[in-house]
Amino acid sequence: MSKKNRTNDRASRAAAALEEQERQERRRRNLMVGGVVGVILLIILGGYFLSRSLDTTTDVTADAPSSSSEFGVTIGPDDAPNKVVIYEDFLCPYCGELEKRTRDDLAQLADDGKVQVEYRPFNLLGGDDDESYSVRSAGAFSIVLDKEDAAVAKKFHDLLYENQPEESGPFPKSSELADLAVEAGADESAVRSPIENNEGVDWVTKATKAAGDAGVQSTPTILLNGEVFQSGTTLDDLANDLIAKLQ
Amino acid sequence: MKEWVGLLLRLVVGGVWIVAAGLKVTDPAQSVAAVRAYQLLPGSLVTPVGQLLPVIELVVGVMLVIGLLTRGAAVISAILFVAFIIGIASVWARGINIDCGCFGGGGADPDAASQYPWEIARDVALLAASVFLVWLPSTKLSLDSLLFRRTPVSEGS
Repeated sequence: MSKKNRTNDRASRAAAALEEQERQERRRRNLMVGGVVGVILLIILGGYFLSRSLDTTTDVTADAPSSSSEFGVTIGPDDAPNKVVIYEDFLCPYCGELEKRTRDDLAQLADDGKVQVEYRPFNLLGGDDDESYSVRSAGAFSIVLDKEDAAVAKKFHDLLYENQPEESGPFPKSSELADLAVEAGADESAVRSPIENNEGVDWVTKATKAAGDAGVQSTPTILLNGEVFQSGTTLDDLANDLIAKLQ
Repeated sequence: MKEWVGLLLRLVVGGVWIVAAGLKVTDPAQSVAAVRAYQLLPGSLVTPVGQLLPVIELVVGVMLVIGLLTRGAAVISAILFVAFIIGIASVWARGINIDCGCFGGGGADPDAASQYPWEIARDVALLAASVFLVWLPSTKLSLDSLLFRRTPVSEGS
């Protein structure tokens, strides 16, 4: 307190009272701001926990891969220690990237008996359009899977990714898909006409429903031993970490 | 006059936040996927950020609209817009084509590149509005002016 305050001067008493009033005012303000901030933080925390409980990202409950699965092609032995399921759309660019980075390693690991991998194509990007590339390619895949053995179906699957169109098109015609199937080793007389007539639509509808029922919302969705596998920042990380886990 | 401009900006920016959050907040899985698609955050951070972002957007939006702790809300709003601008610029520069996930959606989108400039422009405008509110947080019709009004100081006695 200044010297002035100790005098009996009216003005200085008034100034002191004013100062006191301002101090109280500041205190009240700070308390209120603190209280409001506290309440807001509580709301955010509550919202976060609610949001966490609503997050269905990892609620994918798909069957384990098996060599007799209806909706996919499987490589690797049934008694492999690790089981991987990859849900994919032949049009999805990230699926194509993942394929590029993991295909050879996964094939090698499957050959070594270290992993069983099932590729389950379905229609994510084609919507309701039966003539979309997603539907036609997955349908063609189902026809090859049905008529030929798993090795040919896997080869066709690989060729579809090697020849993946841009997501915005232009898209290969169904006759070109049939060409790829034949290139993969399928019997032309058995597969060409069903592929060109897009007879796989029903299978694609069922496979897509099965993927939806399993909770798959995006592609690629990778399941490692029944759990959604996500890792790292980039697709490169994801591919490398997956392979590392399986070594 | 500036206080009325502040009110308008509060309503616009806050409204945008509320709409953006409202479209996302019920589907955290989508929001997490949208964050992941930027390929910017390490895997362990993607999930909490994706789950938390819509909640924070909603809270900031409501705070701005009702004018509660306007300066603080505007600071967070500005920080978020800076982060989004960096995020979009970064995917653009890396040639990744994704839906920005700004208003729901997210993930791969082949036509995304044509959207990026407009999205960045929009976020810059909203950032400018947020900065204005950080600078002049005292606005018309705000809860702040009710709650934290300085009691008129009596002049002497």
